[in-house]
Amino acid sequence: MHELSVAEAILDRAREAADDYGASGVEALTVELGTATHVNPDQLRFCIETVAETRDLADAAVSIETVEPEAACDCGWEGEPPSFDGTAGAVPSARCPECGSQTEFTRGKECRLASIEVPDEAAGTAPET
Amino acid sequence: MTRYLSHRRQHRPLIDRLLDALVGDPLVARTHRFGHGDDGHDTDGDADDVLAQFREQARDLHERVVHDHGVFAVEFLGATGGGKTTLVERLLERAPDEERIGVVVGDVAGDDDASRFRSHGVAVANVTTGKECHLDPGLLEDAIDEFDLGSLDRLYVENVGNMVCPADFPLGAQARVLVVSTTEGDDVVRKHPLLFEACDAAVVNKVDIADAVGADVATMREDVAEVAPDMPVFETNARADEGVDALADFLAEVRTSGHHHAHAHHD
Ligand SMILES: [Zn+2]
Repeated sequence: MHELSVAEAILDRAREAADDYGASGVEALTVELGTATHVNPDQLRFCIETVAETRDLADAAVSIETVEPEAACDCGWEGEPPSFDGTAGAVPSARCPECGSQTEFTRGKECRLASIEVPDEAAGTAPET
Repeated sequence: MTRYLSHRRQHRPLIDRLLDALVGDPLVARTHRFGHGDDGHDTDGDADDVLAQFREQARDLHERVVHDHGVFAVEFLGATGGGKTTLVERLLERAPDEERIGVVVGDVAGDDDASRFRSHGVAVANVTTGKECHLDPGLLEDAIDEFDLGSLDRLYVENVGNMVCPADFPLGAQARVLVVSTTEGDDVVRKHPLLFEACDAAVVNKVDIADAVGADVATMREDVAEVAPDMPVFETNARADEGVDALADFLAEVRTSGHHHAHAHHD
């Protein structure tokens, strides 16, 4: 389970971004998580929320967007990699369906902080409804 | 250098903001959408991608250990009880007297493996990872600071016994050797395809008891060939020192050629 260290890094990054922005807090954050990683989305959300409690980011709403893999091969093939047969769940194969060589994932290996939402302090009163 | 998109409402007139409020546009005021890597092909170096940051760190470590100090670095990973420690001991026994070797051992707790290595007269750094299930480049960097890198010829890194997490955390070694054993079942490759893809060589250990535990080594080989077509597979019985020569020869070859380039890395 390495979601904890990933969660800590995500929150470090969110805090840094909020600071750059001169914002006091983070109201929401979105993480893009590739499915060709071993980071489990539910565990990651749990870890982010838990760590956030200890970091005055407790109010941040966490959303995790999964990113389906894409791969490219030297032979020119590009696309959604096929799944292995016989594995639990869909595990993308890094083998080219055209020529059989090893491909490179161009998407699906990421775990990135995609966006944060911060309180609208600089703009004055935030509208409430 | 900042990569954030600028605040889309920052310089807009008040009326626009009021309209936004009326039509219910963002109640939560400001949204930062961080920029993607431009081509999507090289997202490493993307400060917002924490896994890419670890990969970047691994590359820096590789640069320092392998290129600046000329140390040949090999990582061993695989489940607890699969025989990583025994296998590395067999390799240590093969080392010429003049070769200076450092071993880094990652363990969730304790230093049993570290003491085993110390008895071979090599420099050993034990990393007790505690809550972590894998070594990351930062932990490895701290560990090798215990060595005088300039005087080392070879570095063996034994990762924490775990078949999942290390796949996301390369350590910058020239070869990642995945050690599985027949006792884990002959479906072990299918259960962990991404880890096989992330490695350079596979060792199937404890082949002597394959029949007894009902594991078909040929099936394991076929699965490896499907997951990672170019990956060499070594069958060993590390305890009895059988099959280890072929692995040692492979490592010697990687060392001579500098890197293992038999297949592309996805990190
Ligand atoms: Zn191809």
